[in-house]
Formats: sequence, C-alpha cells, structure tokens
Amino acid sequence: MLVIKDLHVSVDGKEILKGLSLTINAGEVHAIMGPNGAGKSTLSNVIAGRDGYDVTSGSITYKEDDLLEMSPEERAWNGVFLAFQYPVEIPGVNNTYLLKAGVNAKRRHQGLDELDAFDFMSVVKEKAKLVELDASFLSRSVNEGFSGGEKKRNEIFQMAVLEPELALLDETDSGLDIDALRIVAGGVNKLRSPDRAIVMITHYQRLLDYIEPDFVHVLADGKIQKTGDKSLALKLEEHGYDWVKENL
Amino acid sequence: MNLIEQTRQEALSLFEKVGLPSKRDEDWKYTDASRLADLLEIGEVSADINSQDLGMVDLDAYRMVFMNGVFDETQSNLPNEVSIVSVAALEASVSNEDSETLAKLFQVSGDEPLFNGLMALNAAMASDGAAICLADNSVLDKPLYLLHISNQNNVIRHGLMLGENAQAQVIEHFISTGDEKALSNCVTAVILKNGASLEHSRLQQEGEKQSHVARVEVKQFRDSSYTFHGVELGALLSRTDLVVGLSESGASCELNGLFVLGGRQHVDHHTRVDHEAPHCTSRENYRTVLDGRSHGVFNGKVVVHEGAVKTDSSQSNGNLLLSKHAEIDTKPELEIYNDDVKCAHGATVGQLDDKQLFYLRSRGISQEAAQELLTFAFADEILTAMSHQTVRSYVEKVAFAKLPHGAELDGLIG
Repeated sequence: MLVIKDLHVSVDGKEILKGLSLTINAGEVHAIMGPNGAGKSTLSNVIAGRDGYDVTSGSITYKEDDLLEMSPEERAWNGVFLAFQYPVEIPGVNNTYLLKAGVNAKRRHQGLDELDAFDFMSVVKEKAKLVELDASFLSRSVNEGFSGGEKKRNEIFQMAVLEPELALLDETDSGLDIDALRIVAGGVNKLRSPDRAIVMITHYQRLLDYIEPDFVHVLADGKIQKTGDKSLALKLEEHGYDWVKENL
Repeated sequence: MNLIEQTRQEALSLFEKVGLPSKRDEDWKYTDASRLADLLEIGEVSADINSQDLGMVDLDAYRMVFMNGVFDETQSNLPNEVSIVSVAALEASVSNEDSETLAKLFQVSGDEPLFNGLMALNAAMASDGAAICLADNSVLDKPLYLLHISNQNNVIRHGLMLGENAQAQVIEHFISTGDEKALSNCVTAVILKNGASLEHSRLQQEGEKQSHVARVEVKQFRDSSYTFHGVELGALLSRTDLVVGLSESGASCELNGLFVLGGRQHVDHHTRVDHEAPHCTSRENYRTVLDGRSHGVFNGKVVVHEGAVKTDSSQSNGNLLLSKHAEIDTKPELEIYNDDVKCAHGATVGQLDDKQLFYLRSRGISQEAAQELLTFAFADEILTAMSHQTVRSYVEKVAFAKLPHGAELDGLIG
C-alpha cells in the first residue's frame, strides 16, 4: 500500500530524514518508535502533505501512485489520514460540518452521491460511541476548548468517520491519562481491518500494550535502524534508545 | 418660525460654518469627505423605486419602509398600541406648545464627541425618520425593521426613546438601487432610561457607487443595556460614528462590528464610549475581512472619566487581509482618568492560519474551500452575538456570497 524508498527530507536546509525506507501493506499495524528529534513527526507530516518539508530525494508510492505529487486534500480523498500530535483549534468551524464536508468531498472524488444530512448524522452518532465522545462535542467548534485527551479522542473519532485506508497516528498517546489511553486505543482496535493499514508513531512502549503492532521500527538519526516484532519495543523500553545507537 | 424650524435653521448655520470634515481633522485622516462634496444637494424626493427583489429581509417584525428618506405607509406595518410614527408626520402635526421635545431631536452642538458638519447637515435636511417612544415597562413584542431603500441622495433621522425597563429590538437595513452616485446621510439618536434594553442592528448593504455616512448616538441611564451590531457589506464609501454615553451607574453596552469588503470599498467606523459613572461596562468587538483594494478603518476610543470607578471595559479588533492590496488602519484608544478600572484593548492584523488550513485540507477540504471556511468562521464569530436568528442567517448568506468561493461551501454554515 505504501512504499517509501530512500527518502531524504530537509527542513529549513537541515536534513532530518536521511534515506528512510519502509513498506507497509494493507491490514498491518506498524509502530515507529524513536527518540526525540529522530524525524518521527517529519515522516508523518511528509506523508500527509504539509508544506515546509523539502523532499530532496527518494520516493513515496501509495497504491501505485506518487504520493508526493498529491495535494493534502487529494491524499485525504485517496484514503490517507493523519491523527495530529497537536490538533489545532478552529473557532467558528463546527466539528460536524467539517466532517460532513470531508466525507462528501471524498465521496465526490469516488464518484458517489453525497450523504444526506440524516444518513450522515446516524453514521456520526454511531462512530462517536467508539471513542465515548459525548454528542455535545459534535456541535462544538473543531477542538476549541477541548482538553488534551478530548482532542486526541476527536482525532480517532474523525478517523472512524472518514474511514481511511492508511491511518497515521502521530503521538496519539502523548498527554493521555490511563483511562483516556484505554478509550483511544479501544477505538483504534475496533478500526483495525484487513483493508486498512495503521502506523503509530510513538515515543513510549505503553501504547503498544493496548494496540498490538505487527511490526516495530526504530527510527533514529533519520533512518529506520531496526525492525522487529513487538518484543523489540519491550527491549527498547528496557534498554533505552542508547541501546539502539550502541548496536548500530 | 416654530421651535423645530428654528432648531433646524441653527443646524444649517452650523453646517455652513464648519463645512465638510477635512483630512486635517484627526478623526477624518483616512476618509476623504471631499468625495461627498457634490452629493449634498437634496433634489425633489422621488418615491418611485421599484422595490421588488431588492433583498428585503423576510422577518416577522413591525416594519417601516423609507423610500429615499420618506416614510412609505403603504409598505409598512406598525403596532397600534405603541407610539411609533414618522418624524415628518409628527413634525407636521405637533402643536407649538409640544414642539420642544421634538426640537431636541434636531439639536446639534459643535461640542459633541466626534462632531462633524455632516451631522449638522443631517439635522437641517432630514426629510423623515422613525420617532419611537416606548412607555415605561413596555416590551415591543416583535422587532422593528427599518428598511431604507434609495436611488438618490437622502437624509434620514431616527429618534428612539425607551422608557424605564422598556425593551426593544430594532433592525436598520440600507439598500439602494440604480447606478447613480448618491449619498445616504443617516442619524439614529437613542435614549435609554433606567433599566431599558435595546438590541440595535445596522446592516449597510447599499450599491457599489453609493456613499453612506451615519451617526448613532446613544445616551444611557442607570442599569440600561445597549447592544449594537454594525454590519458593513455595501457602498463604495461608508463612514459611521458611534457615540455611546454611559451616564449613570450600572449601564452597559456591547458594540459589535463586521466589515466584509472587496474591490475599492472604503469603510470607516469611529466609536467613542464615555464612561461617565461608576460600575458601567463596555464591550467592543470589531472584525474586518478585506479583499481586493479595499480599505478598512477602525478607531475605537474609550474615555473613562474622573469618578467612573469600577469601570469594566474591553475592546478587541481583529482584521483579516485576503489580498496584499487591502489595507486596514486600526486604533483602539483608551483615556483613563481614575485608578479603579479594569480596561483591556487590542488589535490584530493577519492572514489565514497555515496550521488551520493544513488541518482542514488533511480532512479532505479543498484549499479554496478551506480558505473560505476559515474566513467565514472568522467573520461569523461576530454574528454569534446577534440574537435574531433570521437576521443573522440573512447576514451570513449575503456576507458569504461576497467571498470568492462562497458557493462551494453552501450548506456548511449553520
């Protein structure tokens, strides 16, 4: 589904990703772990199409297409979703309207009829239950005045409504207390499917206790340094990231 | 000559003495009043306007329609039991003994805050207006909709007096037809007695060659409350002076303004709030969305007088520039003459937020639609303060249609 080959990315002239390669297939759950500054967020932002990241060489192929040629909205229409590390507050833009516009833009792209308001609302209400999001959140402005945990739950709720094929979760566990983590992880687990790939970017192993990955990658110094199964995450937890560096 | 005629004659003399504001006047630094010089003549008033399809707001409201500044009874609908009449009718019928009250409506003094010649000219030349007098403890059960339709120079002067604890909602709407350049000169004078409460919306939506000058002056007594919504969408040149006097304790005002401008539109609001008594509150929130080569001016002055202790005042002005040729001049000002006050003010000028844009696009909203949505959201925050949903929806629709890709997001707004 996603093939990244020898990706080099610079930000403000400084190289952050230095030849990163990664292949992700449908149905798989990947965890990308690494120390601060390793390039984890850069990777997720480049995949989602944020400005300000200069891809100097390498390629990202998504379902046979060149992902880097697509605008952020085209990526969304084609099934790419980023759950943000820091979801932005957008006063005056209603949560439900945003989702309805997103869903219908995608449907138009796929040549489907737009959902009418009634059908849409029934989908939305059902998905909100997945992350135990109170219905009152639906009529509020996007993330405005939400607590850290509510913002993260809202991201997973959006993911549930937009039904992506490739979901990137950027530090979705950060800032969550244990109860919120359990709720968010429960939502993600319910969204696992053979047609969907999920990439979790995280600093800590604890998320992986709740969402069990098929593959764990260690990203350090702009490259995938090591790939293994979930036992790799436990090793990292035990020995710290220095252990990876020593074993390079 | 009766007292009213005499008062109006004095106003004319005052205008002849001071003339139009000049650019040397600090309050008219950014707005060139000389552009109005050949629009001051009032010709034979014609009420012959085809008012079909002009965009009247469909409201469940009492209605007074003014055609080129003259009350048109046939299109109007007024309550029986409340005193709402045309100023011209009142002027014609008032006896000499009773003329003193009405004469006050036409009194202009050069000492008033933000005084300028145009307001004197208005008092001298006004052809009509609404004279509204609500008795103590009365509540106007429906909003009063003052619709102004024009295709030539027109001068209008409204007087609203709300008795103790009286409540009303008034919506002024200005539209014009025809391609001729013309000037609307409008004054609304408001008096709010103890505990009275008024929500006053002013929607300026005149044609693209039109000029519009307005003054809204409000005098507030004990515990009265005034809410203003000024929406500027139309006209080539529009200037409003909003002057509020909080003269007794416990009075409060909330002044909201929204400009959505494009092309070469120029809109200027000067506001002045005088805190003259203790325990008064003022809130001011203005936003502008400027595209093309449009020019916005916001000058908000709050004066806290000696003895006006426990004053609580805040002012904010946010400006969104959609084009590099658009321009805003903003100046929130505070003058404080005692120590025991809580005052805040601030202004921002900016473009759309990149993080918000990216977030929307990552959810599948196209770049153009995301820009429109954020622009609309920025403007719409001002309109949330409007209690009348029909008026708010109407303004949203008209303001939205002015944005370059507004149609794409139709159905997205509430």
